[in-house]
Amino acid sequence: MSVIQEGIDALMPIMPQFILIIAALIVPAIGLKSGKASSIFTMAAAALAIAVTAYMMYDGYTDSFMDIFEFNDFTGLMTVLFLIVLILVSLISYSGSETRKHHGEYFALLIVATVGMIFVAGASNLIALFIGIELASISSYALVAFKKNDPASAEASVKYLIIGGLSTALSLYGISLLYGLTGSVAISDVAQYLAEGSFTWTYIVAVITVIAGFGFKIAMVPFHFWAPDVYEGAPTPVTTFLAIGSKKMGFIVFFKIFLMMFILAQVLGGIPEMQWLFAFLAAATMTLGNLIAISQTSIKRMLAYSSIAQAGYILIVLAVGSSYALEGGLFHMITHVFMKGGAFIVVAALCARGLSENISDYRGLAKRAPLVAFAMMLFLFSLAGIPPLAGFDSKFVLFSSAVTPDGTWIWLVAVAVINSAISLYYYARVVKAMYVDKGASTEKMRVPMPFAIAIAICAIATVAIGIYPGPIIELCESAVKAFLLM
Amino acid sequence: MIPIEFFLVLSAALFCVGIVGVITKTNGIVILMCIELMLNAANINFIAFASYLHDALGQIFVLMTISVAAAEVGVGIAILLHAYKSKKTTDVDDLTVLRW
Repeated sequence: MSVIQEGIDALMPIMPQFILIIAALIVPAIGLKSGKASSIFTMAAAALAIAVTAYMMYDGYTDSFMDIFEFNDFTGLMTVLFLIVLILVSLISYSGSETRKHHGEYFALLIVATVGMIFVAGASNLIALFIGIELASISSYALVAFKKNDPASAEASVKYLIIGGLSTALSLYGISLLYGLTGSVAISDVAQYLAEGSFTWTYIVAVITVIAGFGFKIAMVPFHFWAPDVYEGAPTPVTTFLAIGSKKMGFIVFFKIFLMMFILAQVLGGIPEMQWLFAFLAAATMTLGNLIAISQTSIKRMLAYSSIAQAGYILIVLAVGSSYALEGGLFHMITHVFMKGGAFIVVAALCARGLSENISDYRGLAKRAPLVAFAMMLFLFSLAGIPPLAGFDSKFVLFSSAVTPDGTWIWLVAVAVINSAISLYYYARVVKAMYVDKGASTEKMRVPMPFAIAIAICAIATVAIGIYPGPIIELCESAVKAFLLM
Repeated sequence: MIPIEFFLVLSAALFCVGIVGVITKTNGIVILMCIELMLNAANINFIAFASYLHDALGQIFVLMTISVAAAEVGVGIAILLHAYKSKKTTDVDDLTVLRW
């Protein structure tokens, strides 16, 4: 009895992942029988893992698993976030028209990718970080190719594979140099060294390759070219997963290495050069993303470019480099899951009903499916940052964190606000198509039940967080506190 | 003992060969091989540093990297095969359905 107890105690910090891995091993067997059952099983496993995580967070549990994985409030919050993504995506995967076959493998890959992301969130060691990223990435390469008879899906997965492999190689080379410089693979040691470091050649090459490698993962300009192609070609549920899941993982890596470094360096006077670099990258990312989004005719591509722009907003955190900024960043990551996830789920739902991805096909949608059109409008306006929706609150916290007493980053806030205005233009174009323009058909349309549930969850979360952001902000605060102690 | 610079120059050269290959080659399989070269450059770095720092973790990292690279190639070849079935080519310049 005591042996079992000891085993459970040792595994406790990785209990959510443990549950998910077991589920991933069982789900292919269920998938042979019925796709619906495997979808329900995946959601049940994720819900169980959420319950365990929530209980651990409520209990104030903090512990580390063999010095490679640490469970604290930050890890807990991110775990719950990734599991919500998993539930939303598996909810819409079964009844969609794009992922018809091989449900067992599909859900197993989805679960394994989520486990990788959770490992990244808690990694306190570069080896665990690297393995987590690769676990998530390699599973997503396969997921992108799941629309088996569509050449666009195959093309997207080849592009994703090559870009992903390149980014892995770049970041690994950077990590190897960091290991050589610090003699340690613990992230805290590396961040400490980077904070104190002088600009030697090795240091510069290491930092550049790491930024480039992980920049691909978050689709930061100039490493963003793959994102629109992959998002367009992949099955829409997988696109949702990449946009709201994988990207968050990339940001966590940036926070862990670079934000830690800036916060540690502030005691020694800061590293303004690096912060300016991130400020320029942030400005370029949001501006380019928004400008190219204007000219898109495919809604998936438009949302992909808007996703790049959102990444630019979150990059403000790294330019400012304060704990308040991180709070805003985490808050924006949480609201982004619901608003961008919701928008992609609406696209997937309409796809399942035979609507194409062209914005022109959305004409007159308000007459055909009033509730879905209304939800889409909520998501788009939330992404643009219109009060009282969630996107406004999180953008407000994020942008206001950049207004520091010395006023260094006021210009960045100005760029971000102008960009929000630009983004409103192309979001409003979709809303206009849905509400004002006359469509070719006025026939009523009902979206399948699972989609309706997922859309409702996202819409309720978008409005509820927007009106009553208090609890989420508190969660972010305690997560930031835990993050800084890591 | 061989000075560490020798290893670092070797790995930097290997890395550059890999990156030039990724940029200039058009055959998907060759690009995958070039990515492998870049990963191996990082592995040489890890082993050299581990040996000079007398730290075993660098060598463990290499074992992990090798298994990750194997998994990546496994999935990669499968994806390229899938693309070949629908396009009858592994040339990445012919992948032109998705643009702008």
